Amino acid sequence: MPIEVLKFVPWIPLLAAVFCCLCCMRKPLRPLAGPICVLSIFTGFVIAVLTYTEAVAGPAQVVTFFKWIGVGVDAQGNGGFQADFAYYIDSLTMVMLFVVTGIGSLVALYATGYMKGDRGFARFFGGVSLFIFAMTSMVMGDNLIVLYLGWEMVGLASYLLIGFYYSKPSAVAAAKKAFIVNRIGDLGFALGIFTVYMTFGSVRYAEIIPAAQAMIGKVDVATLSASALAAYQQATLPHHTAWVMAAPLLLMLGAIGKSAQIPLYVWLPDAMEGPSPVSALIHAATMVTSGVYMISRLLPLFEYSPYALPTVATIGGVTAIFAGTIALCQYDIKRVFAFSTVSQLGYMFLGVGVLSSVGGMWHLISHAFFKGLLFLTAGSVMHAMAGQLDLRKMSGLRHKMPVTCWLMFAACLSLAGVPLTSGFFSKDLIIAAVFDRAQMEGTWATGYYLLGIAALVTAFITASYGFRVWFRVFMGPEQYEMGHEDHGAPEPESPDHSAEDKAHQHGKNTEDHDTHHGHHHAPHEMPWWPMNIPLVVLALGATVGWIVVGFIGSHKYGWIGSMVYGSSAKPSVSIKHGTMLGLDVHYVMMAVSGLLAIGAIALAAYLHWLNRDAGARLAARFVGVVKLLSAKYYVDEIYDAVIVKPLRLKAQLFFVIDQLILDGLVQLVGWLPGNTLGRAAQKTQTGRLQGYGLGMAAGLAILAVLIFIVVN
Amino acid sequence: MPEALSTFALSHYLLVGAVLFVLGLIGFVTRRNLIIMFLCTEMMFQGIAISLVAFSRFHSNDTGQTFVIFVLTIAAAEAALALGLVVLLFRRKRTLDAQAWAAMRG
Amino acid sequence: MIPLLVILPLLSAAVMLAPVKWFDDRRNAWSFALLSTVFTFIASLLLAYQFDWSSPGITMENGVEWVPAFGLSFSWGIDTISLWLILLTTFLMPITVLASLTAVGERFREFYFWLLILQAAMTGTFIATDLIFFYICFEFTLVPLYFLIGVFGSGNRLHAAKVFFLYTFTGSMLTFAGVVYVAYFNTTLGNDWTFNIQALYGAAQAMSPLQQALVLGAMMAGFAVKVPLFPVHTWLPLAHTEAPTAGSVILAGVLLKLGTYGILRFAIPMAPEAVVTYGAAIGVLAVMGILYTALVCWVQTDVKKLVAYSSVSHLGFCVLGMFALDMDNIGAIGAVMYMINHGLSTGALFLCIGMIYERFHTREMAAMGGLARVMPVWAFFMVFFIMASVGLPGLNGFIGEFMTLLGTFNSPSNVLGWEFAAIAGIGMVFAAMYLLYLTGKVVFGPLKVPHVDPAWVSDQHLPEGHGYRPRDLNLREIGVLTPLAIACLVFGLAPYPILKTLEKPVAQLTAPAQNVAQARLDETAHRLVELTTEPIDLNTGALPLSPRSTAAPLWAAGSAD
Repeated sequence: MPIEVLKFVPWIPLLAAVFCCLCCMRKPLRPLAGPICVLSIFTGFVIAVLTYTEAVAGPAQVVTFFKWIGVGVDAQGNGGFQADFAYYIDSLTMVMLFVVTGIGSLVALYATGYMKGDRGFARFFGGVSLFIFAMTSMVMGDNLIVLYLGWEMVGLASYLLIGFYYSKPSAVAAAKKAFIVNRIGDLGFALGIFTVYMTFGSVRYAEIIPAAQAMIGKVDVATLSASALAAYQQATLPHHTAWVMAAPLLLMLGAIGKSAQIPLYVWLPDAMEGPSPVSALIHAATMVTSGVYMISRLLPLFEYSPYALPTVATIGGVTAIFAGTIALCQYDIKRVFAFSTVSQLGYMFLGVGVLSSVGGMWHLISHAFFKGLLFLTAGSVMHAMAGQLDLRKMSGLRHKMPVTCWLMFAACLSLAGVPLTSGFFSKDLIIAAVFDRAQMEGTWATGYYLLGIAALVTAFITASYGFRVWFRVFMGPEQYEMGHEDHGAPEPESPDHSAEDKAHQHGKNTEDHDTHHGHHHAPHEMPWWPMNIPLVVLALGATVGWIVVGFIGSHKYGWIGSMVYGSSAKPSVSIKHGTMLGLDVHYVMMAVSGLLAIGAIALAAYLHWLNRDAGARLAARFVGVVKLLSAKYYVDEIYDAVIVKPLRLKAQLFFVIDQLILDGLVQLVGWLPGNTLGRAAQKTQTGRLQGYGLGMAAGLAILAVLIFIVVN
Repeated sequence: MPEALSTFALSHYLLVGAVLFVLGLIGFVTRRNLIIMFLCTEMMFQGIAISLVAFSRFHSNDTGQTFVIFVLTIAAAEAALALGLVVLLFRRKRTLDAQAWAAMRG
Repeated sequence: MIPLLVILPLLSAAVMLAPVKWFDDRRNAWSFALLSTVFTFIASLLLAYQFDWSSPGITMENGVEWVPAFGLSFSWGIDTISLWLILLTTFLMPITVLASLTAVGERFREFYFWLLILQAAMTGTFIATDLIFFYICFEFTLVPLYFLIGVFGSGNRLHAAKVFFLYTFTGSMLTFAGVVYVAYFNTTLGNDWTFNIQALYGAAQAMSPLQQALVLGAMMAGFAVKVPLFPVHTWLPLAHTEAPTAGSVILAGVLLKLGTYGILRFAIPMAPEAVVTYGAAIGVLAVMGILYTALVCWVQTDVKKLVAYSSVSHLGFCVLGMFALDMDNIGAIGAVMYMINHGLSTGALFLCIGMIYERFHTREMAAMGGLARVMPVWAFFMVFFIMASVGLPGLNGFIGEFMTLLGTFNSPSNVLGWEFAAIAGIGMVFAAMYLLYLTGKVVFGPLKVPHVDPAWVSDQHLPEGHGYRPRDLNLREIGVLTPLAIACLVFGLAPYPILKTLEKPVAQLTAPAQNVAQARLDETAHRLVELTTEPIDLNTGALPLSPRSTAAPLWAAGSAD
């Protein structure tokens, strides 16, 4: 199929979003929204598959759709500021497209079952379609501005979907928080784009990436195209050097916000207010990984700056262990997985930061599978339990929900990095790459070793919290307490039903459940179609997907290796495998992390399944630590006290200043003459005709006398 | 005709005009009856008119007299209007006292 | 064709006053005003069709003599900048009239009369090529708006109208002094009296730096109040809160743009030296305004006041862009885009708020909440326009905001510079904060409907039991908002042709100031060369020039063809 067809991939979901909006208008049309959305995403996947061979053959190709922003562009389309709806197609784009449209279709399919009967069914799929438009634009865009468009639009979709149950104040607050925290990152991102334009004179990948590659000596300057050469020359001006080095750091701010890294990670755990498919698709599998994609895409630029990648690695490593520890002590299943996402994104940052973009991208794919699966199975549990998500209030559900149980088990295995699962290989690649880098690097070797150890510790923690959830929920004695509210928004059955929010929502599977007493019925398994089948596909990806992704193909790292090395994400320095204990680091790490994972699972099994009393005793011994961790290190509270409250106070102060001083001064200027001179002059106005006459006469007389004096 | 004027100096005419004007002024300021006040303004008018005619003859320039004709015409029209207004005011308050109309007091 | 755009509304206004019983019916008067404005819009579209979009400057010039002795004339002519603003005006007018059917009380004839007069005055401002003609129209806009606020406004309307009138009028008097001074200066060069803009550009640029500074100061006095620039913005929230919806829409949509248009058309080309010298000072005010008012927005309790303050914050970006003077004119072109886009999205926000006010007779945020539950269509439009206002890429607000900031970032170091963009950029975060705060309170959250007097809602159904349930938008109201939403999308997704038309005219206006900035930079560079013994390559010299400073500036290319 001609590669030009790819330019429709983002726009089909946008069209679908419009249709979904129209479906919102009439109740009978609402159920149509789901299929429309799924089909539009799946069409994108099909197009990606059909154009695959052409897209990955040879260097990156640019497909222009239509012109967007341009100033000072000459007739040949050169020079000035230029940002069009054009798509940059190379193997990295295709990898991301497969992830976005593939996982997107599966999750959307699951959601058609999950959201069935919800009042906002059409609205939900409108949001998902909009999200896919934004996400595909982001990964396909041929310039930073389209990337930024996608970047912000996924933020909007995320905002709308987190706040899907908008009657809940907590959902609205979470949505707002997500958007604003992301905006802080986006500000840095925008400044980064400005810097890139200032130094390179262009925002197009086709010019920046070759120029940056030439700057780090990866390609020969002589081979650059004319426009890339111009960008290269401008960027290498002496006074631009410092700016070129600052650009990746600013761009990274955007990545930190979107990918929920320290210090801007705080929005992601709250984002779990959204429906579970949203958490799976947006807040685990795709949107939050866009930071990793962006850094991989602009890797040459990041490599040019000596500080950028070490910073990325450090932030990633610290976030990984920081969020991992928090996940250990959360009781809300979705929150555990949310912190797990933050932690896993930290891994990806770490991977990219140590120049293992293959590791980062591979882990991105594995993570998309296993975390998507985790969230969807958590959604199934929540669905079955009428909104119950508290680990302490459920146990031994394996008999009630056998399929969900084993699906989540598969996902947990992959998350934990148990040998021969996808998560194991991708995570191992990253951890080993950190030690490789430590051995290559002279000055910062200690730092890299520390990061490597942090990554290993995180691997242990990850396995513990992942299986803590699984053992608690599915193993042990069968006990549970249903939730009080259903996860769905209330659906007034008839138009004249009250608008009050108290209306109770019926269960989803109306065919075999009492519709009116949501919290009396028992947990139930999800139907195979359309819910469990997509999950099985995800589970296959999470467990045996590595065979396809990482081992088939001529490249050392299989398919993903050839994809990443065939794109701009190829590092300029080839990483040499280091040695440790006389063995290849990669084998050592496989052994170590595999053992750590199994050990952690064994520990989790003991504390959370076999001997829960021991677990409780352990928690009681470290009550202070548990409190600190379950309060998430009080970061939200600190932010609130240090940033939000003072800002709010300042705003109030400014408003007072505005009213009293600025407006007050103006009012005073208007008031003063009238109330001083005016009041005095007022006395003379008696209102008597005679008085005025006399005044006139006197004035005339004075005038006459004056004239007389002057004349004489 | 200039002979006739010669027995009286210009100043005599001006004096008469001034006296008329001042009388009118005093009347306007001291009286409260709207009609009297109005008549007083007419008197002031005529004082000015006399001065104008006198100057006109003195300078042998007809403009002054032309001007007076205009003033008189306008004054007649204005008198009609003003009396109409006075009647209107009287109907409102059943009094001709100028004090009754002091809405302009600051 | 051009004067028709002024005469048509004037004639319609006159007809509106005619002693005809037919107009005493609310719907008749409304239809007539609607017809007239639609007609004017079509006329403006025809004008746009006739217009030569590739012309680099003011074309279609013509005029009528007025006072030849002083060179006064009603002369007109347009370039693409004014044409886009005229189109914005004529586009917003029918929408405003359409929205006013139920909003206006008893004196509806008067209302439409003043609205049409206002349209004529606004259009006159944009077409004038004679400074006095411009000034007359500029000032005359005050009169209709004074009555629109003072007669048809809410609660504190008289005070608001008075403050609005006196505040803007006082500023404009200084502008007038500046205008007359420039014309006088022109005569001292041996020319006849004239107020023609083109003739005065040349003369004004010959003034000494001090004279230019005074002229810039005088002009900014009027234009800055109109924009409004911090700290002379306090009239705006007051006027907006008290004005009727139509007044707010026009005020935010077009009238504020008169200030920015004035700065771009007169202040920047007439006082280039002063613009370069004092650009940074104005930039500081703009940045302060952006951040300060954005924070003030955040603590508002009145929905309309919040949007009004947001206008002040937003227009700070516009002013910043105009004074950026970067080589590609990204800032100034972005500023023109900002004028149009702000008119669309903020006008639409005021319309949305007006629709709420019609239903509840309150604008207190605390009194309402979660309206998405009962008014989903309204909520859709509200969120849409809020996102346009936040500057979401793909919608119109982004184009102006991004370009003005990019222009400022790349501004020559002796004019603004990257620091301004970096600090002003925080305004983007604040904008998200206050607008989402508004959304979270009013559109989302638990449903809360204010107490409503049944007398207001006799035409709406009051369901039994659960209190008042407001009706969602009717077809007319959807018809009001849909064109705006479409315009927002078009300007956000396909601004390229529009930007293309703006390049040359904007370059003409900013070129003198750009030249001054560049000349000063070169001078400094030469001084450095003299100071150092080693030769410095001027192209790669140690000075942080803006990108592509070595390329020929755009206006040079423009004048060649």
